[in-house]
Formats: sequence, structure tokens, C-alpha cells
Amino acid sequence: MIAVTAVRLLAAADAPLLAAPYYRGGDPGPIVRSLAHVPELLEAAMPFIGVALGPSGIPWRTKELVIVRVSARAGCRYCVQAHTAVALDAGLTRDEILALRLAHDFRQVFTDPRERAVIAWSDAATSLTPPDPQTRAEAAEHLAEHELVELTVLAGATLMLNRLATMLELPTAPSTLARLNELALA
Amino acid sequence: MSEIAEAVAGGRLPGRLWMYANYHCNLACTYCLTESAPQVPRRELGPTRMVEIAREASELGFTDLGVTGGEPFLLMWLPQTLAEMATHLPVLVLTNGTLFSPKRLARLEPIRGSSVAMQISLDRPDPDANDEMRGAENFAKVVDAIPRLVDLGIRVRIATTVESIEDAELDRLCALHRQLGVPDEDHVIRPIVRRGRAVDYRLGVDAQRDDLPAELTITTDGAYWSPFGPTVHSGVVGTDLLITRTTSPLSVPANALLRLVEARPPGDDMTLNIR
Ligand code: SF4
Repeated sequence: MIAVTAVRLLAAADAPLLAAPYYRGGDPGPIVRSLAHVPELLEAAMPFIGVALGPSGIPWRTKELVIVRVSARAGCRYCVQAHTAVALDAGLTRDEILALRLAHDFRQVFTDPRERAVIAWSDAATSLTPPDPQTRAEAAEHLAEHELVELTVLAGATLMLNRLATMLELPTAPSTLARLNELALA
Repeated sequence: MSEIAEAVAGGRLPGRLWMYANYHCNLACTYCLTESAPQVPRRELGPTRMVEIAREASELGFTDLGVTGGEPFLLMWLPQTLAEMATHLPVLVLTNGTLFSPKRLARLEPIRGSSVAMQISLDRPDPDANDEMRGAENFAKVVDAIPRLVDLGIRVRIATTVESIEDAELDRLCALHRQLGVPDEDHVIRPIVRRGRAVDYRLGVDAQRDDLPAELTITTDGAYWSPFGPTVHSGVVGTDLLITRTTSPLSVPANALLRLVEARPPGDDMTLNIR
């Protein structure tokens, strides 16, 4: 497969000085390798992305609901594929992932009212208008204020990465694609 | 005193700040770090920006300015700009020395009596050996220009860039520069660094970050660790010695460089940062 990205994905030998620490553990992946073109942005973005998408007060599974859903709504192939693999690791089932990926109505698959509220909130976060009263009421009933803030920032950070990956046509790792192909989830 | 001024005064950071005035050149030397030639993209910083950088550098606590290229004297506005920069800090400008025809010498009037010195490349004491790397007529033009510049009262340094040079040849080169009016302390000999076009010609020595002094270098593409950083190979400007794309305010790359030099944790230099 020849990956054609819009910008060069900087290899370790070309990594700017401030980006070099991100390459110490091996290939840091296409997000770091593209952001490395602007090292000061990479340095500020990675800690932010780590806090927004990584371990926090909100359970891993819940965060992956948002990431996969928002990425699917934004039509981001790279993020959907990468986070389908992460969602499997976080314990989501194939059916749940397919529902998040818009293959089925999520309310048929997800029965927990809190998870339904999270997914509806994610959908609202990808629209251009404030959430409708029903989505807002559902969220207020099942989610604390700090959770709403964090999930909204998570949705926004995901959208930023969706735009980066889609605009620059970042390639999915071959190992991830192989794993998804086995489960017919590519 | 700013942190930069303290680091410079304490010898932890070199005092000289470099700028790439442009990337095009009337020559196309085999060892050129920047693949310079007449038709390459010019990447000009421009006179306003160069004077602004000079002012900021002075305020931050740098002690000297260096201007390189490309061939900076292809820029008609350069002498006036150098004179304005020199009101902030002393300037050393690197030139191939081939553009100083009598008409062009007259244009150097603004820098006479200012603290602008020139560093001219002269690699060998014989025209044939010198011009093999640097192009026809190079030797004759340089040897003609240097005494005229010295006569104008401009301080001239000579830079010899070679893979190796025999003692006898070096002796003749030194005799030549003395004869041209350039004293020994103004003759520098430096190795070819294997970057840019030197890679294609398999010339010079490899240089990593820690082989190069941390001399902050500003270009249109961003700020670099050293003037050996923003080199060009196959038309692409290198990124391995890039510090930041941001060059204004100058404190952004200067503080990032200081942080790298002192191996301080990320974010230590940032006053406004989300983390
Ligand atoms: S080494 Fe200097 S003189 Fe030679 S081509 Fe490059 S910029 Fe021009």
C-alpha cells in the first residue's frame, strides 16, 4: 500500500529538536509525525490530547463512546479505524461499535441511560447548534457538570484530530487494519 | 536582566544570533549547505523583519548578529539594512565576495564607519583549486574585491572551508590574505559540513546537534539551533535542527533554545500554555 499524505510524515532522522522526545519509543504514529512540522504546536498539543483523550476521571469505555461516535459523524476514516481498535480494547462489543459507527440505531444496542445520554451529547457536539432541550435534559439527568465539560472538550479534541487526519489523509497502521479486517470492522 | 542575557553573560548560550537574509546565490558551490543557485526559491526575510530581529535580539541580551544566505549582497537593500541593524548590535555578514564591482562598492556607503564586518569565502591560494569548488572566476573576483573593501574601511574576515589542506598550501593562503590586508586573527578555517549539496558530492563531515554551537538562527521557515540547521537538500529545508516555526516574538525560539541547551522540561519557558 502506498500511503499518500498531504504532508511528509517526519521520520526520526528529520524530527525537530523539540519533537525528538516523542520519537524515543519508536514510530510515534502519523499524528505526531505530522504535528512535528510545527514543534511548538506538537509540544502544546500532545499533553492536551493526552489529558482530553487519555485516562481521566471518566471511564475509558465512556470516553471511547464519544471518540468513535464523533469520528463516525465527522466521517474520519483514520480516527474511526484507530479508535475501533481502542474501543475493542476498552471492552466494547462489535455490535456496540457498529452502532456507534452509524450502522444501527444506537438506542437499539445501548440500554444504559447514562451511555445513551453520552452518545446523544456526542451527536449534538458534531452539529452547528446548541443541544436540543431533550438532549440537554437527558444529559443533565445522567451526567455531572464536570463530566459534561470534560465530554464536550473530548468531543472537540476528537473533532480537531478528525480534521487533521482527514485533511492530511493520515494512514491507518497496517497492524490495526489487519486486526479490523479479521473482525470485518475495517 | 532577561534569562537569555544571563545565559549569554554566563557563557551558557552563544551571544551571536544569525539570520538567513535569502537563499539564492549567483554561485552554485559543490559544498553549498543550502543548494543555493540563481533560480532557487529566495526565502527572503526582508529589510523590515531583519531590523526588527536585530532590535529584539539586542533587547533579549544577544551580543552579536550574523547574516548569511544565499548571497546576501544580491539584495539591493542590504547595505542600508545592515547599517540599521548595526545601530542595535555589531553585524558580521557572510558573502562570497564576487559582487563588489566598482559600481556595487559605491552602494556600500551606508556601512562605512558602522560596526558591520564582512566574512568572505576564500578556500585555496590558487585560482584553479579554489574555483573547482566555487565556480569560474571566483578567485580573481575575491582577490580583487578584498583590498578595495579594506580600503573603504570595512573589516574583512576570510573564511576557508576545506575538507583538508596541506601545510604548504595553507602557508601560501595565509601569505595571500596578509597581502590583501586581512590579519591572521581575521582568518578562520572550518570544515565542510555534510549537509545540503555536500551530501550529493559526498563532501565533508557529519554534524549532529551537539557538534554545533547553539547559535539561534532565524529564517523564513522558522528558528533553528545553528546556521547549519536550515540547510536544503533535494529542495526541502531540513527540520532536524528546527526549534520553532514561531520567530516573532523572538523570545519564543530564544527561550526554547535555552530550554534545549539546559535540558529543561517542556513548558518551562512558556508563560501562557494549556497543560
Ligand atoms: S556556498 Fe555560499 S557562495 Fe557558494 S553557492 Fe552556497 S551560498 Fe552561494
